Amino acid sequence: MISEFLNMGGYGLYIWLSYAFSAISLVSLYYSSLKKLNVIRNKEYLYQESEKSIQDPVSNQAKSI
Amino acid sequence: MFGIFKPRTFFNLASTSIFWLKIIFIFSIIIGLGLALVFSPIDYLQKDTVRIMYVHVPSSWISLLIFLIIGICSFISLIFRVKVFSVYAKSLAPIGLVFSLISVVTGSLWGFPTWGTFWSWDGRLTSMFILVLTYILYVLLWSFIKDYNSAEKITNIVGVAGLINIPIVKFSVAWWNSLHQPSSITLTAAPTIHSSMLAPLLIMFFSFSILSLIIFLIRYKYEIINFRVNKK
Repeated sequence: MISEFLNMGGYGLYIWLSYAFSAISLVSLYYSSLKKLNVIRNKEYLYQESEKSIQDPVSNQAKSI
Repeated sequence: MFGIFKPRTFFNLASTSIFWLKIIFIFSIIIGLGLALVFSPIDYLQKDTVRIMYVHVPSSWISLLIFLIIGICSFISLIFRVKVFSVYAKSLAPIGLVFSLISVVTGSLWGFPTWGTFWSWDGRLTSMFILVLTYILYVLLWSFIKDYNSAEKITNIVGVAGLINIPIVKFSVAWWNSLHQPSSITLTAAPTIHSSMLAPLLIMFFSFSILSLIIFLIRYKYEIINFRVNKK
């Protein structure tokens, strides 16, 4: 029954290739977008931290001790 | 009414809505795939190859719809100089590009068993190919032009100019002889497709639309944070 389902009346290659291409493209787009967002979030966080240390060097020094 | 378009409001809305959109997407894609691959009937002529329709047609609709939105956003940005609209367009472009590629590739894979060829330079396929090229040009211009204002202006022009192709894609099957079949679903007439095939088609379209919205919100958030970081 499973092989019948996968065979799709002899057109399985075309059908599964279509679904696989769609799935791979959309999953890649989703994860690449998410990765870009995480990278820029980290960058923003680092900027904020560096700004804080410039504004308040004494307390930051104390923290590091 | 237009308060939702303010960058801060939209950014906050994006942050809160992504989780719920993901839940809706997971449910709808499971139902959509179940109907498309298992429960929908085979076509009397095309047999099982008709199942390719459930990814091909929604992808085509979304790629056209996204370019229409890009064109409108580019027009507003170009005429009224509202920057956030070019951010919307920029965030949407890669999504439209991927859906247009899916449309062309799945169309070719559907074409071979039904027409006997992967490709034909007829009206619909050629205009769809031009849409893919326009998307590629739009995305590449944003990547390669380093000055933001110049990139914004040039991509806005490409976005507005690309609008010309949208009615050509839509009506190409009526204007020219084509291997491609005419539309079974239009906004002005009742669909000529059976409800057992219409249901999975619409559910897959809904599901792909929700996924597009999720990716758009992620990319929009990226663009806003990137703007803030580069301003510092």
